[in-house]
Amino acid sequence: MKLRGALALTLLPILLLSGCSVEDDALLVYSGRSEALLGPLVEKFEQESGLDVEVRYAGSAELAAQLLEEGENSPADVFLAQDAGALGAAAKAGLLTGIPDEIYSLVPSGYSAADQSWVGVSGRARVLVFDPGKVSELPASIFDLEDASWQGRIGIAPTNASFQAFVTAMRILHGDARTLAWLEAMKVNAVIYEKNGAILEAVEAGQLDAGLINHYYWYARAKDVGQAQMNSRLAQFQAADAGNLVNVAGVGILNSTDAAEQFVSFLLSETGQQYFAQETREYPLVEGISPADELTPLADIPTPAIDLSDLDTLAETLELIRQAGLI
Amino acid sequence: MQRPPIAAVALGLLAALASLIPIGYLLLRLFEGFEAALAELARARTLELLLNTIGLTVSVSLTALAIGAVQAWLTVRTNLPLAPVFAVLATLPLAIPSYVLALGYLSVFPWFSGFWAAWFTLSLATSPYVFLALSAALISSNFAAEEVARSLGKNRWQVIKSVTWPQVRPAAFASVLLVALYTLSEFGAIALLRFDTFTRAIYNAYRGSFDRTSAAALALVLVALTLVVIYFERRYRGDRWQAPTASGRKRRIDLGRARILAAVGLGIIGLFGAGVPVVSLIGWSVNQTGFDLLRLGELVASSLAVAIAAGVVIGIFALAISVWNLRYSSRLSGAVDLTAWAAHALPAVVVALALVYFGANLVPGIYQSIWLLLLGYLILFLPNALGLVGTPIALVPRSIEEVARSQGLSKNAALTKVVLPIALPGILAGVALASLTVLKELPATLLLRPNELDTLATELWQATEVLAYSQAAPYALALIIIAGVPALALNAQARKLISEVS
Repeated sequence: MKLRGALALTLLPILLLSGCSVEDDALLVYSGRSEALLGPLVEKFEQESGLDVEVRYAGSAELAAQLLEEGENSPADVFLAQDAGALGAAAKAGLLTGIPDEIYSLVPSGYSAADQSWVGVSGRARVLVFDPGKVSELPASIFDLEDASWQGRIGIAPTNASFQAFVTAMRILHGDARTLAWLEAMKVNAVIYEKNGAILEAVEAGQLDAGLINHYYWYARAKDVGQAQMNSRLAQFQAADAGNLVNVAGVGILNSTDAAEQFVSFLLSETGQQYFAQETREYPLVEGISPADELTPLADIPTPAIDLSDLDTLAETLELIRQAGLI
Repeated sequence: MQRPPIAAVALGLLAALASLIPIGYLLLRLFEGFEAALAELARARTLELLLNTIGLTVSVSLTALAIGAVQAWLTVRTNLPLAPVFAVLATLPLAIPSYVLALGYLSVFPWFSGFWAAWFTLSLATSPYVFLALSAALISSNFAAEEVARSLGKNRWQVIKSVTWPQVRPAAFASVLLVALYTLSEFGAIALLRFDTFTRAIYNAYRGSFDRTSAAALALVLVALTLVVIYFERRYRGDRWQAPTASGRKRRIDLGRARILAAVGLGIIGLFGAGVPVVSLIGWSVNQTGFDLLRLGELVASSLAVAIAAGVVIGIFALAISVWNLRYSSRLSGAVDLTAWAAHALPAVVVALALVYFGANLVPGIYQSIWLLLLGYLILFLPNALGLVGTPIALVPRSIEEVARSQGLSKNAALTKVVLPIALPGILAGVALASLTVLKELPATLLLRPNELDTLATELWQATEVLAYSQAAPYALALIIIAGVPALALNAQARKLISEVS
């Protein structure tokens, strides 16, 4: 009897759980963006369109790896990723069916895949976060950080996808040899962190003088604690170098249905773009929609001339980062 | 030679086949890009990773053994004050996911990183495995032999070395094997503490470059390392499972004044293993504003449902393999047991991606359903339960079973009516340990869960991903409290036995 009771006890949760399987007609979105961020927007979309959406949340890279393993048999309809690299990996494997012209043309060409396999949704700028009490003279170029005066004062996150995208940009702009030299200088000068957020925390706490992060981490924290409470400040480099790279979060379609296209156009609609601009302080990419007030306008950032589709040579980048001993 | 029960053989073979999925998948990826894989392995960095990984595994294993052994010996065999309290304290780190432990330290000491940090964190996180196994073994060891040795003029240390240790060595080796494989496969804490091991390199290969070939090459090195570790464990653990001899009155050793010192020492270890992380989590929670209790309730319910279901499934398979391999041992049963262990050092992400490939392409019917998730947990955590389920089954004397059969019970009836009831506490302990481990698991849960199934672990991940530690804290605390229930259940057995020793 005891044994039967135990079995019943096991079967009950399994039955309950198997109840929450996929509804076949729902649009399935793989999202590398968090539920806290995307959830409300998806709800709004469901209300406006009357469509059912299911979202699978995980890291962008994990989802790309998952898509690669699923291959042709992926149940996913749409892939929303934090960075161009993850989308590039899916595109390279031939999993993305391409973005319809009328949607693709909403975003300036620099922020989407050149082959139209995916489209940018929001922009994130690389910035220098610094403690004004400890950094009196801002570096004019990313290469100024090689100077011995920066030893132990600058934080980087070499395993972070945004950092790796920035190093890829540096390779494209300045070549592998120059990039390796910079990375080797960072091996000496930099303090290593796992994530951008940890760098910001360290600068805020006065443990670190400066760090290389994405701009929105700072604004997210400012929203949490109040902008007046922030000890650190943000700066762009004056030279139009890789240190100012503007990367994107973007979206690709795996199964081109009407619902998938509606969802993608919703992300690029006024509602979708404003949502990202206000909630995450990212840069809206559709022309005519302005970013949150306190941000440096995209046009004023001395961005390097880079085609984001070229940022897909991550393997070589990782090789250099490893060679320099940073990961 | 008796034939093993069909059900045990069927379940055992099924579990072995399941464990072969990730290994087969790795071989597939390896042969897709054999030259690239060889190039990956031939790099100088691979050697560095190998040394790092071996260094960490050996040092964590030895430290966890030392901590667990001291805790077990003091709580079971001496007149340590408040022994049951210290027994609970020794088990508690089991309830804390190692990434939460690392996070707890990092938030207080931002400089906490590198080899020593990883060694410190993982030693604390894994010592309960040793404590649980050794405290049970010490209780059933032969107390009388020790007293004889004492009376023959051996000092206390000599007694431990020559009389006690040989008796508990199999249990110690089995638990150290778990510790070693845990360390080999650990990712979360290692990544937070920034120490490079094979597992971290495998994750980086997947996430940084979507490079499945080099990830597979590195993962296969881990499988090879696992086989080496298992070889040494089997070679040197000594005669397995000696049935305890009746040993008369069990008397505790009087530590004299050292008992206070011992209590303080155990208190400090407990403080490091559970106190610091829990206090720092509570610190974050206090800063928390506006928290959704209803949401927390949902997460607790779904986490529990998944963990209990997985624990029972794993327990059933562990039982089948144990019965087969320990009571009807054959070459095939040995191979099944070995296969179940072989994949145990693989990082969860490798097992999960293997199942994604397998599920999406070969069995789409169960892909992204609870069934594939349970299969993943089975592959990952079957060995955790095998040790606890196996020991009591091996210890039931064959003579008892034979008596039952001579009374006219069939082979299967003798097993279910005589052997299993005696072994039940061990089986339940195996289920509890498996459920506990499932509760804490993250990477495989993220990749294999049904869409929109959230657990405490995935919610904790979501919160730390946006890097709001304060939002993550309540989930982490809830996770520790829930995982504390099976941890205490595991401990109850030990505490009951401790109180029997007078």
